[in-house]
Amino acid sequence: MDPTVVAQTTGDWAFVLDNAPYLFVGAGLTILLTVVSMLLGFLVGFPAGIVEVYGGRVSTFVVETVGIVLRGTPIVVILIFMYFVFSTPSLTLGLFDVTVTLSDAFIASVLGLGLRSAAYQSQIFRGALQSVDEGQLEAARSVGMSKLEAIRHVVVPQALRRSVPGFQNEVTIVLKDTSVVFAIGLAELLTRSYDLFVRQTTAVLEVVLFVSAIYFVLTFVTNRGLDLVGSYYEIPGGEQA
Amino acid sequence: MKSNRQSGVSRRTYLKLAGAGSVAGLTVTAGCTVDTGGDGGDGGDGGDGGSGNDTGTDGGDGDGGNTEIVPGTAPGFPPFEFKDDSGELVGFDIDLLSAVVEETDYTLADWEEFEFDSLIPALQNDRIDVIAAAMTITEDRQETIAFSEPYYNADQAILVAGGGDFSPESLDDLAGQTVGAQEGTTGAGVVEDELVADGDVQESEFRTYGSYVLAVQDLENGNVDALVIDQPVAQTFADQRNVEIAFVYETGERYGFGLRQDDDDVVSALNEGLQAVRDSGQYEEIRNEWFGSDGEEGESGNESAGNDSAGNETGNSSNSSAVGE
Repeated sequence: MDPTVVAQTTGDWAFVLDNAPYLFVGAGLTILLTVVSMLLGFLVGFPAGIVEVYGGRVSTFVVETVGIVLRGTPIVVILIFMYFVFSTPSLTLGLFDVTVTLSDAFIASVLGLGLRSAAYQSQIFRGALQSVDEGQLEAARSVGMSKLEAIRHVVVPQALRRSVPGFQNEVTIVLKDTSVVFAIGLAELLTRSYDLFVRQTTAVLEVVLFVSAIYFVLTFVTNRGLDLVGSYYEIPGGEQA
Repeated sequence: MKSNRQSGVSRRTYLKLAGAGSVAGLTVTAGCTVDTGGDGGDGGDGGDGGSGNDTGTDGGDGDGGNTEIVPGTAPGFPPFEFKDDSGELVGFDIDLLSAVVEETDYTLADWEEFEFDSLIPALQNDRIDVIAAAMTITEDRQETIAFSEPYYNADQAILVAGGGDFSPESLDDLAGQTVGAQEGTTGAGVVEDELVADGDVQESEFRTYGSYVLAVQDLENGNVDALVIDQPVAQTFADQRNVEIAFVYETGERYGFGLRQDDDDVVSALNEGLQAVRDSGQYEEIRNEWFGSDGEEGESGNESAGNDSAGNETGNSSNSSAVGE
């Protein structure tokens, strides 16, 4: 430190620790965004994957085209479209006397992150579905199941298990991509870290390290958790099927 | 092959669990009371379909009956706008706009925060009604938005690492060096127009940063030789960090509040408010609070008096890189 520099009231690490709660609020928003976006991605992406493998000509074409557009557009552009061009409204939810107003920026972020994730997840599930041997579907049909029943009871349960690794990857990617919502004014973890080192400009390194540690813990816990899910539902010897 | 009997969960139960899990997840989300960033507070007037703004402005402002102004800024630019120790948005722009709006018939809604580059799109899409973010009035920007009368004069300062042997005295001295600025700012425009365009500085030697804090860090670390940055902000950094102002490049810049071109009522109201704030001496008070009573270094043209009814001319040589097209 140069003596001409105005002495900071606290050391940089002390400053970061003092402000940890401020960052944790941001981390909470990051987690919330990730969870909701992943759910939306699953609810849209899983059916989309099924359509791409088993759908008719028209439905397959539509789903594939939308997927290509979403996967080929940078996430910042998608968000700006959602927020500025489509003008997403805010949403007020009432449940058991608790009303929550989700701001328009939050809705736009969830739609942007969620739909893009759906496009990626559809490919994860498509790969998993196609990896299930064709003979299984034939066998299911030959014992009298309809095509839909066969997909639902024979192919999907196996495909879901096989898609866990890809899904893990996607969770990690979405978690880190939530940081781009700063562009439309949502104060998540990374945005708040910027606020901090503007206040104490010597603490850039400390703040960045601390925030990286939070991201690491989040991704590590998520991945270990999904590892457990994967091994719990594992089919013994199911890989050769 | 056969499904797993060992885990104790049959295929169908597994699927039901997966389904139930997702429903539960949604319920949890709906029931939680996390503030979702923005202004997840007062539900505004949920009635005006499609206007999507919590704060109750209806998009377009076409009805003239709307007296709430939504201000937007890009924090991280001390002392104009930044977060204080309690995470509150504070600064010269914040106080000044509050004082100016106080003088008008309008009321000020909660502040919206964006990245600097997102401010103009946010204004044009009715997300916000006024930009107060130390935004320089430039011809490029005037093509897309309107500005209030100027409220602050600022030149560009050239920052160099403290105690170093590099002390340029004019822009020509920066030739062949690495120069940095924050994306989308006038400083970046100066480097582009005055140095890169003439070939004095290679395009690859021009660094742009998302935030001046990171730029100053890079300067201290010796990765960049000089930064071009608004003078008042440069002064703040020079006080706090081991960097110094080598010289001031006079651009005759003026900051103005950014407004929509069709919002004539708001433009004239803010201009009147600004004049009232100057006349009452409030402007002086606010400026002294954020910049110290001695004003900033540099010539006295930086005083508010010199700004009085300075007309909206943009007699500046600098052309900021336009943002938000």
